[in-house]
Order: sequence, then structure tokens, then C-alpha cells
Amino acid sequence: MDKSLPASTGPASRGPRVRYILVIILAALLALPPMVNDYQLFVANTMLVYCLVAVGLNMVLGYLGQLAFASAAFFGIGAYVAGLSMVHLGLGSLPAILAAAVCGGLAGALVGLPALRVRGYYLAIITLAFGELMRWLYVHADGVTFGSGGFNMPGIALFGSELSGTGKYYLFLAVVVIGVGASALLLHSRYGRAFVAVRNNEAAADSLGIAVNRTKIIAFAWSGLITALAGALYAILNGRVSPDTFGISQMLMHFVIVMIGGLGSLAGSVIGAVLLTGLPELLRNFPGLEEIVFSLLLIVVLFFMPKGVGGFLSSRLPWMRERLYREGRGNA
Amino acid sequence: MLAQLIVSGLVNGSVYAVVALGMTVLYRSTTVVNFCHGEFFMLGAFAILVSQQVLGWSYTASILFALILLMLFGSLVERLLMRPLQNAPHISLAMMTIALSYLFKGISRFFYGREVVPLEPLVDGGPIELGSVILLPQDLLVAGSSLLIVLGFFYFFQKTQAGKVIQAASQTPRGAALVGINVPRFQNFMWGASAALGAVAGILIAPSTLVYPDMGAHMLIQAFAAMTLGGFGSLPGAVLGALTLGVLENLIGGYVSSSLVEITAYLAIIVVLVVRPQGLLGEWRQGRG
Repeated sequence: MDKSLPASTGPASRGPRVRYILVIILAALLALPPMVNDYQLFVANTMLVYCLVAVGLNMVLGYLGQLAFASAAFFGIGAYVAGLSMVHLGLGSLPAILAAAVCGGLAGALVGLPALRVRGYYLAIITLAFGELMRWLYVHADGVTFGSGGFNMPGIALFGSELSGTGKYYLFLAVVVIGVGASALLLHSRYGRAFVAVRNNEAAADSLGIAVNRTKIIAFAWSGLITALAGALYAILNGRVSPDTFGISQMLMHFVIVMIGGLGSLAGSVIGAVLLTGLPELLRNFPGLEEIVFSLLLIVVLFFMPKGVGGFLSSRLPWMRERLYREGRGNA
Repeated sequence: MLAQLIVSGLVNGSVYAVVALGMTVLYRSTTVVNFCHGEFFMLGAFAILVSQQVLGWSYTASILFALILLMLFGSLVERLLMRPLQNAPHISLAMMTIALSYLFKGISRFFYGREVVPLEPLVDGGPIELGSVILLPQDLLVAGSSLLIVLGFFYFFQKTQAGKVIQAASQTPRGAALVGINVPRFQNFMWGASAALGAVAGILIAPSTLVYPDMGAHMLIQAFAAMTLGGFGSLPGAVLGALTLGVLENLIGGYVSSSLVEITAYLAIIVVLVVRPQGLLGEWRQGRG
């Protein structure tokens, strides 16, 4: 493998094959709703939500190489901002989703600030504290957030008509395609390549004239934005928002998806989300079993597939290789 | 009221100290921050619960059982799960301890579900009055045992030959290996010791709280807060930070608002890391982390 970062690695430059496959997948996704029942459509919608989550978390964990625990918090912020702006301010669903994305981006930049000063485990701990603090806020700011019981979302309407499951599916699909596509473009721009440079060697990146602090803030803000977007969709999908959804077990789900998909792989993130979203549905009725299965999966992946499904596939199928992923310890 | 708040804060803080000490010892000797330490704490309490209420053993026997079991557990985790990954990136090591944390929580939830189970107190007897301060015999036992354990640890590390060998091995594993110290075996021992320390804290606190699968999660954050306050990686710092946190929680609960008690630890972490990342006693170094 060549060791220099290629100057142009836009998605389009990876040959027509990838483009054809993306078009085929998109066509299949567009044709899906008539072929499935309501429950399967719900699961498909959940998969779309977690695709965004995985891409958002991968931004910080995989590309920037920082161990941050804030993605459940961003997810919660997205859900609360979207839900509360619809309940209290009477916003429509699209403005509410946009508001969630903006607040998520701001929260991401805020969480990125300590990342300028502390790294590694310190960052993990401070972001863990941030997530729990947000959860405390949802419970105790009950004048605004309706406290520990949570609240129900108002009906979701788009352009004046109530959204059905199929309508939600197309809305979600559009948001996910835009979110993942924009992430791919960002990653292949100079900013995205800077994420990887900072991950691989901060001092070297600095000496090459990369603004390390700005790079970190951008990565965190983008991660917050994408994950909050996912949170907004999650609230719309489930029609209910409550604080205990955004706790530590939500975080485990995010970690497992990203680790199974592969750190630093967009395709892997999507594959991980699709593979893992069906599981909680199957395991719902057994207390503790979801945690057991997820943690065992994570252990198996760490042992046998350290680069995740994305890394595994790109070592078999050269055309799937994502050029930004580089082996090495990183600095995290 | 002030004296009472401070004294019972010190009692709580002494349990945090044992938990934080267990994490710090492991961090110092292996550079791994163990996100499943809270679950060692929880498993200690559950080991007592199972051996007492299912097997019908006495308190002494159950405590011995819990300590030996957790020691074994810790070294098995090191040998089977952590050692094969020792050359993996640090994110993978952290992920492994996170996975274990959920695994242990899931297993105990599988058997106990949403039950919260009380334990008998370790000692009986009415409250003891010392001036304006009222203490339960349980509190005295908790604080006394914690103090003994902490002192024992410092004696071991500073004064004994084995303790000095361990310090050498954690400062430069490679150098220690060159002079003939069996570093993997020592790291294995430290995992066992750390798990046992977690279990001790669980055993001490279980009778006054309740036993449930999620009891470790909050304790983990409190231990992080204690370590951060005192200076991450410093052994005296962990103890000092833990006592400070215990008192701080009680003062805030007593004078400001009881709903703030649960976020004192989070706020402490955020404020300390932003304002003075080296904490009270720590030397600030950007470690391997």
C-alpha cells in the first residue's frame, strides 16, 4: 500500500464500479416500502437512524482517533431538541430536524473544546461526565423536558400531510443519503484528510501546517451534528422521548456498531448499523440478554476482526478500499 | 450539622478511596484504564449475596469466597482477554474493558432482572454518639477497614521488596523485564489485586445500599472523579480525591440541594479537567492514553 495521501480521493475517483453499486443500492432502497410489512419498515427505519449514528461516532472515534463517550449525549440532544421544539414552539418536522442538527453541531463543538486540552482517557472520562450531566438535566429541568417520564411527540406532518411509515421511510432515506454523502465529501476534502493526519501523528500534522485545534473542533462539531440528526429521526420514528433511552446502554450499541463496522470506514459503519439493528428487536424480551450478546460480539470482533467488517471487506475486495483508512496505532 | 456532614462524607469517601485505589493501581501498572472496575465492585456484592442467600454460608466465609473469586476473575480477565490484545491500539483495550463491563452487568441482570436485594448489616448495634456527630457501627467498620486497606497498600508499595519490584515494573516494563522481573505475571497479579480491591468496596457498601446490577456504573464515575480530583495516576491523590469528593457531595447535598449530589462527581470531573488537569497531587503528563 502506498504511504502518501493521494491528492484526490473523492468518491467518484474510485472507479465506476463503486458508483454503479451505490446507484443499485439506492434504487433498491427506493423500491423497498411496497415489498415489506409495517414492522419490517419500522426496522428499516431504525437501521437508517443507526447508519447516521455510526457515521457520526466514527468521525471522532475512527477518523480523529479520539476516545469520546458523547455520542449517546448527542443522540439525546437531537431527540430532545427536535421533540421539544415541536411541542413547545410548534415547529414543523423539517425545521425541527434542522434545529436538532444545529444544536448537535454546537454541542459537538462544545465537547470538542476540552479535547484541545485533554486526550485519551481524560477525554473519555470528561465526555462520559458530559453525557450523564445531560441525562440529569433531562430529568431535573422538568419544566421544559417533562422530567423522568419523558414526553410524546406530536403527529409528524410534512408539507401539510400526516406522515405514514412509508413517508417517514422516504424522509429518513433522504436525510441519511444527504448526511452520509456530506460526510463522505467532508472526509475527502482537506479538512477530512486533516482528521486522519491528526489521528496518526498530532505533532507531524502540526508541523505540516494543519491547524490541529481547528481540525478537532470541526470533527467534533460534525460528529455532533450527524448524531443529533439521527436523534431527531429516532424521536420522530418512535414518537416518544424519555431520558433513560440515552444512557450508557445506548452508548454500548453505538460502540458495537462502529467497532463491528470498522474504525475509519464509512461503508463499515453502514454495514454495522444494518447488521446490529435487528438484534435488539429479537432480544427485547429477555432482561440482560441484549447486553450479553452485544458485549460478546464486541469481544469477538476485537479478537478476530480488529478492523471490523469494513476492514475485512476492503482487504478482500480492493475496489471497496477506503483510502483514508490507514493501519497503525494512531495516538489514541 | 457541619461536623455530621463532614464525618459521614469521610465515611462515603473512604469507600470511594478503595475503588479509586484499585483503578489507580491497575492504571499505574498496566496503563489500562479499566472501565469494568465498577462491575468488579458490583460482582463483589453479588458474590456475597449469592453465597449467603443461595448457598447459605456465613458472612466470614462469603467474604473470603468473594475476595478469592474476584481475584481469580481479575487474573482470568487479564490472561484470557487483555494479554492477547496487548499490542492492539489503545482504543481496542478500552473497548475490551467496556465490553466486559456490559457483559458482567448483563449476566447479573439475566439472573436478577430488575430486583434490588438488601443485605444484612455486617455489624449490629445502635448508633454511637460522639459529641454532635452520630455514627452507625456499620459506618465505623467501613471507614476503619478502608483505612486499614489503604495503609496496608501504601506500606506494601513503599516498604516491601515485592512492592518496589512492582513499582519498577510499572515505571519501565521493558527495563524491568531486562533485569529479570516477570512483567506479564506481575501484571496478571495486579489485575487480580485490583479486582479484589473493587470487591472489598462492594462488600463494604452493599449492606448500607442495595445490591443491583447497575450499582457499579455510578461508582465508576465517582472513582474517576476521585482520581481526577486527586491527580490521575497518583496513589495518595486517589485517596485524597476520594475523601474530598465524599465531603463535597455531602456539603452540596446539605447546604445547596440534594438533587445536586448525584452530579457532584460529574461537575468535579469537568471543572478539574478544564481548570487544573493535574488535579491536587498529580504530575501532569500526557501518558500513552
